[in-house]
Amino acid sequence: MRRVWAVATNTIRQAMRMKVAAVFIVLLLVLLPVMGFTATGDGTLKGRLQTFVSYGLSLTSLLLSLLTIIVSIYTVTSDIEHRQIYTVVTKPIRRYQIILGKVLGVIVLDVALLVLFAGIVYGVTAWLPKFVNATQEERQAVDNEFYTARASLVPPLADVQKEVEATYRKLSKEDLATIYPNMSQEEVFKQLTNRKRLEKRAAAVGQWLVWEFHNVKVRDPNQSLFVRFKYDVSVTPQDEQVYGRWQVGDPRQFQQGAQGPGQTPVWEQTRKDIVRKFHELEVPASVVAKDGYLAVGFYNPPPLNDTVVLFPLDDGLEVLYKADTFAGNFLRAALLILCRLVFLACLGALAASFLSFPVAILFCIVIFVTGTASGFIVDSFGYMDQNISRIYTYTVQAILQLLPQFDKYNPTKFLVPARLMTWSLLGEVALVMVMIKGLLLLALALLIFSFRELAKVVV
Amino acid sequence: MEYAIETIGLTKIFSDWWGRARVYAVDDLNLQILPNEVFGLLGPNGSGKTTTIKMLLGLLHPTKGHALILGGDGTDPKISKRIGFLPEESYLYRFLNARETLDFYGRLFGLDSKTRQVRIEALLEMVGLKAVASRPVGTYSKGMARRIGLAQALINDPDLLILDEPTTGLDPIGTRQIKDLILKLAERGKTVLLCSHLLADVEDVCHRIAILYGGKVQAQGRVKDLLQQTNKTQIVTDTVSDAAVSRIRQILSDEHAEYEVTAPMEKLETFFIKTVVEAQQQATPTSGAVSTTQIGDFLTAGGRQENILDKLVSTSVSEKTPAEPVQTEAVQPREVVPPTANKDLLSKLTQAGASPQTERVSPTPVETPSEVRQEEVKKGVLDKLTKNDAANPPSAIRHPPSKDGGSGHA
Ligand SMILES: Nc1ncnc2c1ncn2[C@@H]1O[C@H](COP(=O)(O)OP(=O)(O)O)[C@@H](O)[C@H]1O
Ligand SMILES: [Mg+2]
Repeated sequence: MRRVWAVATNTIRQAMRMKVAAVFIVLLLVLLPVMGFTATGDGTLKGRLQTFVSYGLSLTSLLLSLLTIIVSIYTVTSDIEHRQIYTVVTKPIRRYQIILGKVLGVIVLDVALLVLFAGIVYGVTAWLPKFVNATQEERQAVDNEFYTARASLVPPLADVQKEVEATYRKLSKEDLATIYPNMSQEEVFKQLTNRKRLEKRAAAVGQWLVWEFHNVKVRDPNQSLFVRFKYDVSVTPQDEQVYGRWQVGDPRQFQQGAQGPGQTPVWEQTRKDIVRKFHELEVPASVVAKDGYLAVGFYNPPPLNDTVVLFPLDDGLEVLYKADTFAGNFLRAALLILCRLVFLACLGALAASFLSFPVAILFCIVIFVTGTASGFIVDSFGYMDQNISRIYTYTVQAILQLLPQFDKYNPTKFLVPARLMTWSLLGEVALVMVMIKGLLLLALALLIFSFRELAKVVV
Repeated sequence: MEYAIETIGLTKIFSDWWGRARVYAVDDLNLQILPNEVFGLLGPNGSGKTTTIKMLLGLLHPTKGHALILGGDGTDPKISKRIGFLPEESYLYRFLNARETLDFYGRLFGLDSKTRQVRIEALLEMVGLKAVASRPVGTYSKGMARRIGLAQALINDPDLLILDEPTTGLDPIGTRQIKDLILKLAERGKTVLLCSHLLADVEDVCHRIAILYGGKVQAQGRVKDLLQQTNKTQIVTDTVSDAAVSRIRQILSDEHAEYEVTAPMEKLETFFIKTVVEAQQQATPTSGAVSTTQIGDFLTAGGRQENILDKLVSTSVSEKTPAEPVQTEAVQPREVVPPTANKDLLSKLTQAGASPQTERVSPTPVETPSEVRQEEVKKGVLDKLTKNDAANPPSAIRHPPSKDGGSGHA
């Protein structure tokens, strides 16, 4: 271990001597504070903070990722190219210890830089409101919707399989051919399922929709919870607005046989909102029942509306409540970035164990970019695999699954809308990205490096 | 019998990416190096010396055959712990300074910080880099880098020292010092594998040598056996009277022997060192390596602080060498060089590079008449080996006029 550490400290020195490292560090040190005062977003305080946190962390993550790739590759390939490795491997140190030391050095460097830069981003975010003019209202909004970590409850999608099957059976061959021309059974099922589910989330005039949630754990009953929703309509009203009567609380207490005491308040409001835009209802958290039960009801009021109101399947409705502090969320976001960096350090070590510097860099950048766009790529294959052979599904997509999915676990996706990133999510990412994929890459790197002819010159 | 180094049919064939253009870098090499032996691996450039070492240390995999080092595999930490290795060029981390460099390697050996500290100071002192120890080694001259490379190889007080062309880029004092060091280590029971194409280096210190050419051993054996000319006799005396000389000539003529009478020449190396020492005693400033050095304490078990240079200038060094020194000298006495000519000499020396013996030096007073000289040019193995005419003296006069014979002094 002492030897591994000797290599690690030497790697850190080597990295600090690299111009790239210095350039990146200076760049970040200059850009981050500047961004704090130039990023304005939509002009509101919240928009400003969101833009800064999003750009600041993304830039930090991007530059540290590139730095990690470059340093982890350079430290290995440079030693081989300039042959310092001759004097190192001939010492009583195993080759795998050398690679471990290098990766460890890069990770220690990453941790230090991440602490520094995430610290700057956090500092600017925390202090920014003190230096800008903002109305009391804006500050209130920022406290509720930015400086917090809100857990989100999304109603589960309705189970409609039986209904879909029944409908499908009723369809005749002619129907199928006319309504769903050139579609496989699978695709027809998909469409039917979506339609049935949407039906469950549509309220005709004079109709109630009720969503039930369990295990709602509010940190503090004196705070608020938020119902975030988006309307869609069958007929768009002239002013593009619809009415809605909302009730949030525990309806069980009004049912027959319910016990008298232990009642919780029920929040109620009728309001008018623009369609196809997000809106939030702020509800006192005390409406949640003691056992964590919560129901949200929407009523489509007859004289006011004359259209069916729908809540889109993916983001039509969710309940948000404060589950943690902004600081806690930010810490996890930084750790998420660290997972990414550790993965990249392992990847860099692997690439450097058998490739020369420029090729290894190219290799890693390609994987990095692919990982950053992995969702897009997986999706595009998803559309393809029904038409083209299934081979894609089992080869290309399997390989894509092996790639890191940086975009899926993007920290700004949590911080900007003040979404709670749970420890379990972080744990899952750490497990998959670091413990499984990262270690796999590292093991491969160690293996290749151990058996490689280090003095072999390839021209 | 366990060998310090043993290779069995060691072969390395380099091929290109397509598997073509095969180079037999090392071809069926069988070496046996005994413990406590100074073994010289000689050969012209590209003869496979470095490749052999790389295979010994596991930097290259043999195509065929085995290499055993201290009875095992060179990559085994238990074994590499006992090895010191100075590669062909000092491959160092340019951003570390001398002290940090040695500390890094010391840590790789798992030495505790106290031992490291002591050894680093001793080694810096020894290689004469103490004054520049806080400069990054990237700024060092080649010879200085070489010195720090040597220090690096010694930090673990190795049982087996592998030196690949240790003297390239070194000034004569450094060269001499390495040779002394090798002898010292041999005295202490260490084994040294010395690779070089500089014949003088090898000749002065090695017990046994092998000469490689084209990856094959061309000649192998004890230096004495390979170089001794059994058909010649050498007599060295103090300055004797002309009468005595002519009596000897008479005797030799009676014996019908071919002979030559000359004043022994000082070796240029000895002369150079003497000059530099004088300059240092006058405290001439230098930003290079300092040469008043000792061998690191921890390397000389006795711990006796001794100034190598004292011994160097007193020429007793050559007596210590196990091999008979084969000096070829120009015998014609030339005009005496005034003391100011020393600078000239130095510049000539640097041009002459690796073969100082070829320089014609005007004789200067010989301090110890016991210095062994040999008058004949040896057209031996060593000569044939190199295209370098290093071993050919510019002139050797067979029958000089009897009067001038013994008088080298002015
Ligand atoms: N990595 C390599 N690839 C191809 N040929 C090599 C390689 N290393 C050495 N050689 C060749 O092997 C031969 C021996 O080289 P080397 O052992 O370095 O010689 P030297 O005796 O000068 O140390 C040379 O012809 C050299 O060109
Ligand atoms: Mg060589």
